[in-house]
Amino acid sequence: MTVTWDRCIRLKEPLKTKPFLVFAALAVVGLLLGAYRELLGLGYVTGLNDGYSWGLFKNWNVTALTALGSGGYAVAVFAWIFNVKRFHPIMRTAVLTSLLGYGTGMLALGFDVGRPWNFVWLADPRTWNHYSVLWEVAVCMTSYFLLALDVENMPPFLEKMYRSGDPTKKERAMKIFNFMQKTFPFGIALAFVLPSMHQSSLGQLMYLAGPRVHPLWQTPLLGLLYLLMAYILGFTCVLLTLALSAYAWNLGWDSETMERLAQIMAWTITVWLVVRYADLAYRGALGYILRFDRFSIFFLVEELLIIVPTVLLFSKANRKAPGKLFRLTFLVCIGGLMYRFTPTTLAFSPLGDYRYFPSTFEILMSIGFTALAVAVFLYAVKTFAILPAAKGQIAAEEAMRPFDTL
Amino acid sequence: MDVNRREILKVLMGGSAVAAATMTSAPLASAGDSKEFELEPDAVGLMYDATKCIGCRACMPACQNANGLKPDVGGSGGLYMQPDTLNAHTKNLIKLYTAADGHERSFMKQQCMHCVDPACVSGCPMKALHKEPHGVVGWDPVLCIGCRYCQVACPFNIPKFEWDTINPKIVKCELCRHIVGKTVSQPACTQVCPTHAVVYGKRSDLLAEAHRRIKENPGFYFEDRVYGETEAGGTQCLVLSHVDYSNLGLPKLGNESPAAKSRQVSEFVYRGFLTPLVVYGGIVAIVRNRWKEHLKHAGTEGGEVHGEEKRA
Amino acid sequence: MQTEVISSKKNNVPTTFRNGVDRRTFLKVVAQAAAAVGLTGSMAAKMVAAVEKGARPSVIWLHFQECTGCTESLLRTSHPGLAEVLFDLISLDYHETLMAAAGHQAEEALEAAIKKNAGKFILVVEGAVPTKENGIYMQIANKTGVDMLKHVAASAGAIIAIGSCASWGGVPSASPNPTGATGINELLPDKVVVTLPGCPANPYIFLGTALQYVALSKLPELDELGRPKFAYGRTIHEHCPRRAHFDAGRFAEEFGDEGHRLGYCLYKLGCKGPMTHASCSVLHFCEVVDAWPIGLGHPCFGCTEKNVAFTMPMLKPAEIVRPTPPATYAPVTAPQGYIAPVATGLGGLLLGGFLAGGWVAGKKIGEKEAAAPNSGPTGTSGKE
Repeated sequence: MTVTWDRCIRLKEPLKTKPFLVFAALAVVGLLLGAYRELLGLGYVTGLNDGYSWGLFKNWNVTALTALGSGGYAVAVFAWIFNVKRFHPIMRTAVLTSLLGYGTGMLALGFDVGRPWNFVWLADPRTWNHYSVLWEVAVCMTSYFLLALDVENMPPFLEKMYRSGDPTKKERAMKIFNFMQKTFPFGIALAFVLPSMHQSSLGQLMYLAGPRVHPLWQTPLLGLLYLLMAYILGFTCVLLTLALSAYAWNLGWDSETMERLAQIMAWTITVWLVVRYADLAYRGALGYILRFDRFSIFFLVEELLIIVPTVLLFSKANRKAPGKLFRLTFLVCIGGLMYRFTPTTLAFSPLGDYRYFPSTFEILMSIGFTALAVAVFLYAVKTFAILPAAKGQIAAEEAMRPFDTL
Repeated sequence: MDVNRREILKVLMGGSAVAAATMTSAPLASAGDSKEFELEPDAVGLMYDATKCIGCRACMPACQNANGLKPDVGGSGGLYMQPDTLNAHTKNLIKLYTAADGHERSFMKQQCMHCVDPACVSGCPMKALHKEPHGVVGWDPVLCIGCRYCQVACPFNIPKFEWDTINPKIVKCELCRHIVGKTVSQPACTQVCPTHAVVYGKRSDLLAEAHRRIKENPGFYFEDRVYGETEAGGTQCLVLSHVDYSNLGLPKLGNESPAAKSRQVSEFVYRGFLTPLVVYGGIVAIVRNRWKEHLKHAGTEGGEVHGEEKRA
Repeated sequence: MQTEVISSKKNNVPTTFRNGVDRRTFLKVVAQAAAAVGLTGSMAAKMVAAVEKGARPSVIWLHFQECTGCTESLLRTSHPGLAEVLFDLISLDYHETLMAAAGHQAEEALEAAIKKNAGKFILVVEGAVPTKENGIYMQIANKTGVDMLKHVAASAGAIIAIGSCASWGGVPSASPNPTGATGINELLPDKVVVTLPGCPANPYIFLGTALQYVALSKLPELDELGRPKFAYGRTIHEHCPRRAHFDAGRFAEEFGDEGHRLGYCLYKLGCKGPMTHASCSVLHFCEVVDAWPIGLGHPCFGCTEKNVAFTMPMLKPAEIVRPTPPATYAPVTAPQGYIAPVATGLGGLLLGGFLAGGWVAGKKIGEKEAAAPNSGPTGTSGKE
């Protein structure tokens, strides 16, 4: 027997637990190194060079981790367009992971670009090169973060404002909320269209590199494949987050919801695989798979990590067992992240003879930004009503009507 | 269970309608590719004939001086200007190719190829890399955000980044555009070349000269062709050589510019901005209905919260 | 100094005899002088014309803190020889080493020459001027060097500082510079002073400068330190016969070793050629081929440069101011990038840790949720 998550709750747990302190410490280290980078320059803090000029910050924190942060987008598509009502209680968790994934991704990007003071020009359309895929990513991601993600994450915050008891705050909270309710379809449509654009563009970026990306990955369909993988990784992130949260804070296990998530994910992966292999066959690139050079090995590892768990996840028994579900989803997550990361770095061979591995500081900074997301997540679930739970499952503050309608 | 199957079908039908509406409306972009990507009639460039180069490297200090660059002393401990690659201090490099069995050798002058339709210009989000008059590819420090997409995009791996400073620039040959036409009539490298191995002029003239040389020396130049005539959509800096161009570090490239290919895909999907707008409209329509339903449900008393299934 | 001039006319062409030298020989001398310092044939004609007009310019040569090496090196020229210069081309009106006079007559001759040629004479200064304690460390005829210099320079037509001492202080100015030895240009800030540094200065540079002034009443183009560009425009390094050895990386490592004997580059022995602007590599000394430091196997010590000579240690390697490519070439593809072993280790550890963590988490979740299958919505709060 399992529970049914039907409401969102605020955890009444202490904030300063050991895990939180560890993540917060890592985040602080990362930010301090970020300050160090600002004082000295990228060359001193990273292992980047002219051949591999995009390293961990862009290819991992942005390309890979914002895919994980597409949970809000992916779950919302099924909650609102395909009307999977079970997903409404987990929406807040999903959009929170999105906010954090994108927020820390954009933070990493801010540290990565060499001349960040010129970002102001993004506001001046005269400087826009609309042919540039990276321009699309920059403008679209910023718009998404400013216009959609923060709005989607407002309800728990408005709720807290309302709960404070202060009449002015209550009034303001209700005013904002009513506006959100009135414009909801327009807002959420934005939250669908914008990420579709930039998550696919993140893949399309590498198309311009042409023959320098290995044929097992290089295709005009990079945009579509990256977009599908954003869905997939969004699902994995939400699933894994919910599983870990349920374990850590006794939220109970809503088997139906988790199974649904896994099932939808498995079907999406199937679509992704069909597109991938059809494309490889069409381009005559299948022969590269069994060459057993380093590209072939990366490919095989990535595909095995995705295909095998997916096949297993089609069996209901595997989806029902929480441990198995977690592990299989975890493997898919690794494989999916590999797919997003590989064309940018592992399968990218710049002209010349270049070697690259991120430097220690670079790794620590990247981890720091990720840890920041986790630390803020831990803070948020204990400050706002975000996580899903069943009625009476645990003693916790519940989300309030009408704020929980969004 | 949810009404998912029905819902899914509904949505997929809607989706196909959107696709049909947008994707059949216009032919593929290449036919309508903007004139701004064509070769300018007075485009200028360089022609480097490797068979005339004697490896004197006068062009290297000349380039350093004209561009105010600090020489890269490499591992020489300050003794020599010894870069082994183009980098933040080196916009022009003479390299030596020797065959493994020693039976052939050639010098190679490496600098920006000033493509007709450059990938770096296409990729640059802020127009920092742009085409100047006469097709010269220039870099603007005012707009550059240092994203280094140009480094990923360039098929010749030309743009270099100043890694060791907090005010990094993108460094590459700009055909001395800061002085040509003002204090000098040609770039520094062509000015000092003692054998005129590298010459400057209108691309059309240079190409004609290259063809003339090939015609008058059949079989002498590699495959009787000029590198850069059509590679990557054509480059304004051309190379003639008697050895295989790949041995000189010039990659084998098709005749289509990467920028054009990228634009093709983008245009196919986006159709100007039509596709996103149509999808947006479609989603608003779908979500509106759901939203009305959702609010109706939520309007009931507190106990019945969303998440309860209508059917078991 | 007056010489006997016997003039006569043959076919209305003036023939001049000076000290028994006929015109043809005289023209040869002038031509040699012009050629030796790079002036064209037309210049030689101009010089002849100027001299025949009787316009041998007056030269006043002052000595201060010096070793007289510059005068000595001037004595070792032969085209033109100093005799020809003194007798035929200039009128050396005051020179403490060469003049016969002494005492009051010498001083009177000096004042007379200054008065007679005011605004026109060439002032040549050899030696630095001490400035400490009001310049009492060097006095001639009860006048300090500073006063003497200022007095004579006030009416000079052209001022030439010959040698490093007069140009920037030279040897007397070496740390701790107890006398405050200074170059004369610092003491004459509002005058154009041609400086010809060198220890000694190469005499042909002096001859070229002085004779150009004689012929054209114009000084050669000077750099920002007052040095004629025709002689000081390049560093020794840029003009050195051993440059090919430098570019190819062939160095003498120790005095007397194989490389030294083979005439390899002396950079590693402290040659200051790269930092030294001078013409010694093309204009040797004493009119003996290769009679200059590097030619004789000793590194240049930068005698013309204020920041090098008598300051930088002899064996300390010079800074290459404008490096140029060596004799080797960059390959078509050179390896780039560095993989730090620590980072690789850290990355591996983190990846392994992450994977293990995920696997273990899965196990724990499985155990927990499996152990409590009956958690229902009506259960009590709290932990399972």
